[in-house]
Amino acid sequence: MLDLIWLLPTYPLLGFLALVLTSGRLPKKIVGIIGAGSVGLSFLTAAIIATQFLAGGEDYFVKEVWAWMAVGSFTPGFSFYLDGLSLVMMLVITGVGFLIHLYATGYMADDPSFSRFFSYMNLFVAAMLMLVLGDNLVLLYLGWEGVGLCSYLLIGFWYTNPANGYAARKAFIVTRVGDTSMAIGLFLLFAQLGTLNIQDVLHAAEAEWAVGSGLAIAAALLLLGGAVGKSAQLPLQTWLPDAMAGPTPISALIHAATMVTAGVYLIARTHILFEIAPSVQLLVAWIGLITVLMAGFIALTQSDIKRILAFSTMSQIGYMFLALGVGAWSAAIFHLMTHAFFKALLFLASGTVILSVHHEQNIFKMGGLRKKLPVSFASFLIGSLALTAFPFTSGYFSKDEILLAALEMDGPGTILWVGGVLGAFLTGIYTFRLFFIVFFGENKGHVPENEVGGIHMNGPLFLLMILSLVGGFIAIPVESVFSHGEVHEEHHVSTLIHGFMIAVPLIGIVISYLFFYAKIFSIEKLMSIPISQTLHRFWFSGWGMDWLYDRLIVFPFLWLSKINKADLIDSFYAFIVKFARASNAMIVRTQTGYIRWYALSIAAGLVVLISIGVLL
Amino acid sequence: MITTLADLLPLMPLLITTATTIVAMIVIGIRRNYAVTAGITIAGLLIASLVAVSMISTTNSQVTPLLIVDQYSLFFTVLICVTAMLITIFSFPYLANLDDSKEEYYLLLSIATIGAIVMVSSNHFVSTILGLETLSMSLYGMVAYPVHSKLADKFPLEASVKYLVLSAAASGILLFGMALIYAQTGTLEFSSIVNVTKETPGLGTGFAIVALIMVFIGIAFKLSLAPFHMWTPDVYEGSPLPATTYLATIGKSAMFVVLLRFIVTTEALSFDSIILVISLVAIVSILAGNLLALLQNSLKRILAYSSIAHMGYLLIALVASYYVQGAISVEAVTFYLFAYMVMSIGAFGVISIVSSSEKEFDDIDDYQGLFWRNPWLALVFTGMLLSLAGIPLTVGFIGKFYLFFAGVEAGLWTLLVVLILGSGIGLYYYLRVVYRMLLSPKGGERFKSGGSQYMGAHGVLAFVLALLLILGVYPTPLVSIIETISLNIL
Repeated sequence: MLDLIWLLPTYPLLGFLALVLTSGRLPKKIVGIIGAGSVGLSFLTAAIIATQFLAGGEDYFVKEVWAWMAVGSFTPGFSFYLDGLSLVMMLVITGVGFLIHLYATGYMADDPSFSRFFSYMNLFVAAMLMLVLGDNLVLLYLGWEGVGLCSYLLIGFWYTNPANGYAARKAFIVTRVGDTSMAIGLFLLFAQLGTLNIQDVLHAAEAEWAVGSGLAIAAALLLLGGAVGKSAQLPLQTWLPDAMAGPTPISALIHAATMVTAGVYLIARTHILFEIAPSVQLLVAWIGLITVLMAGFIALTQSDIKRILAFSTMSQIGYMFLALGVGAWSAAIFHLMTHAFFKALLFLASGTVILSVHHEQNIFKMGGLRKKLPVSFASFLIGSLALTAFPFTSGYFSKDEILLAALEMDGPGTILWVGGVLGAFLTGIYTFRLFFIVFFGENKGHVPENEVGGIHMNGPLFLLMILSLVGGFIAIPVESVFSHGEVHEEHHVSTLIHGFMIAVPLIGIVISYLFFYAKIFSIEKLMSIPISQTLHRFWFSGWGMDWLYDRLIVFPFLWLSKINKADLIDSFYAFIVKFARASNAMIVRTQTGYIRWYALSIAAGLVVLISIGVLL
Repeated sequence: MITTLADLLPLMPLLITTATTIVAMIVIGIRRNYAVTAGITIAGLLIASLVAVSMISTTNSQVTPLLIVDQYSLFFTVLICVTAMLITIFSFPYLANLDDSKEEYYLLLSIATIGAIVMVSSNHFVSTILGLETLSMSLYGMVAYPVHSKLADKFPLEASVKYLVLSAAASGILLFGMALIYAQTGTLEFSSIVNVTKETPGLGTGFAIVALIMVFIGIAFKLSLAPFHMWTPDVYEGSPLPATTYLATIGKSAMFVVLLRFIVTTEALSFDSIILVISLVAIVSILAGNLLALLQNSLKRILAYSSIAHMGYLLIALVASYYVQGAISVEAVTFYLFAYMVMSIGAFGVISIVSSSEKEFDDIDDYQGLFWRNPWLALVFTGMLLSLAGIPLTVGFIGKFYLFFAGVEAGLWTLLVVLILGSGIGLYYYLRVVYRMLLSPKGGERFKSGGSQYMGAHGVLAFVLALLLILGVYPTPLVSIIETISLNIL
């Protein structure tokens, strides 16, 4: 059964092909069955494979499907690698992916491009599985670029609105900066270590490169560049909020549960490389922490329901990076999994809310939706609790592990811990700000008649609710993957600190309650202070990062392209075209059609070639 | 040496093809029936190729001094018989409405195949010439075949005469080169000619170089290498399409196999000036072929010009064989010839299936909007063109990669730069055709390619398209076969 692992990406790929080749001519019902069913089949297969793999007790399993071509040491092949890490990833991708597909059959039901939507979704799942199951760097890169492409296509899914096209391009270009860095990193690894197989690369790196050596640092930095691009971390984070232009199931699947965590997967997969480059590993932690805090402050000020969730995603991935940075590899993957559950839940629930209030996304135009939208309300309640790490929800266990690991780290560990706890505090505030404003108080805009739903939309929500609640009790089988170098001893911290860590997000929730529910403190009063107005504007614009990048990169680039309108480099290619045309015009004259001329050219060729041969 | 009957067993594919011709001739004499004649030809070629396949793992023998039957020659025997069979299938609907005797065309086709089989099994100048002339003579007839048809809109007679006259001149040069070699070494056997390059007796190296260059030029003409290429577009354009296909696939590959055997066996490349001459011809062919095709509107001429370039690419691997240890460059040549035959059958096949002896659709305008009118043919044609251009996931990419790899191993950087330049230019005219097929249809006649007599031809298109894609994604089986057989050449 393990041999059938290649079926995992094959099902959604076939689904994609079927949907593309019929190009929208199938009835919606069948499109839904193909679209969601192919991922469902993948999930079933993944579940069976996972059971057998765990029962077998092996550390890893390799399945070579076929070798594309073998030229020297360049032997890219289709082979799959399964270990605890890819096992968790494949289950999350197919499991959560299937639920989101199912939800989408309801959410997208009225969309004229229903079939196109599912074809992209299936292609995404196939590419993402390729990414996490690939045994070599080429397959990994194929999957990496594949999910990037699907992300682009789906952000711009409603392409008739130019703003969506703009958002899609922005996401593509910003992540491309990271992708380029990663590609160079992969080239470096291949050039230096002479193999494409990921495990061989890692072991060779460990054996050949000293800890802290220049090559190790360069390779780790370049891969980190790819990871921050894909996972929307500082400094390549600006694309994620705009990516919310896509349909909501996309935001749930690609921009919350799976694709944006690919950077976390990449670093976890190549953790050996980061261990021999400790300075880069520390940088990962700092990037994570700063992103946690930055995104947390931004989320405090946003008014678009999906953007708030987007910034919270960015912030939660920041936690995963923090975990990676302090060497708590399995905690990072654990948080990746629980985050996939509750963030998918929150996004899907926000989708229901948005549909129910007729595509309104501004939270200040909602309000009091608790009674009208009971399922969304329950989903948001559970999702928000898990997100703020309320005790015994899934988010609590994973975030707790991350923070404790940070605390135990020598050196900057305490600072990282303090920052992480501050982040948790912010999470409590912004999450429940959203919750109270949307579901309590007066309705200030659309009053929904009834909640959009049905079994295929509410079913996934219920399942995700359960997972968000109890997901923290799932033990992920990744010990053997990270067996060496992980902080492994039981966490010894005083009850006081532990209590403090539990209390902080709760305090955040309480503050939110006082401001937005009980209205004991007035937000208007707070805003009347000049400094907080400035801060609000600053945070609302995402710390002015877009502004800064516009000034630093976009405008200079546009300026350059303006003064270089008659492109200098283009003129070289234009010359090639002209040259080719001129040569063509000259040389076609030799094709006269006269046999005597042809015979002459043979004779001339004979004489010239013999002369060259004899004289030189 | 007395040749016994058992010694002739390795010649079974050749004998079967000959028998096919004779049977077909007798049947025509008794009663003319177009379908039966074509059927006999197809069956005979099929049997010949199956017999050759069954022999391939066991046979390795020199039959008389003239012919060598080893795995390499058997591989190409299979390839040639199968290709000839596929071309027969295309010819059937093409010639169906010719208002003249149609049956004799298949005799010419199978006689040409005999010549081609002799060529790929040849390691002696006598058999080379015998095979070459058998092939060429039949081709003159095939090119001119629809000459009495009142509706023949191209100029088969003109094409045939051009080909005949120039080809005769080239054969003359080839024979002269052979005579010079004989004068120096007293032998016509490839393996004995090695001495000519060893500067031992005879008339000195200058003499040997002239001889080798003349042989090369004679062969270069048949391969339509520049500057001996000028006949190619005119002959391709004037011939009926199945004959063009035959010329482009079997005619070229059989000749290249002879060149490969000759160059490798005689160690001709140990002369620097021979390497220089071949490299120059390669460069000129790649550039001239691609540049000539650039703005061409006739598909047959585009494919003719592109064949000049493709033969130039192949010369790179040939030159590399001198520098690289092992069989990698022979493998590259073999793989590329295989790939080139697959792509050419497909590309010419699409044009041939919509054409007939009455009207050929050859102009790029006829294909505008083909994707919307006939997606199947457009799909096949696109696949073939992309493969010719060397786009990944097609067999053409693997082939070009192989050539490139051989060139890199040999350190032939100048030639590789030209290869890249040529491929870049080539992409333009291949994509131009694809682009035209994607535009919205502009009137244009609807092609008649349905009906029962086209079934086989469509099947062949499906077969070559499948080969093109499967070997583009999973070339390993073919590569391992080619690795084994290529050892025979060294």
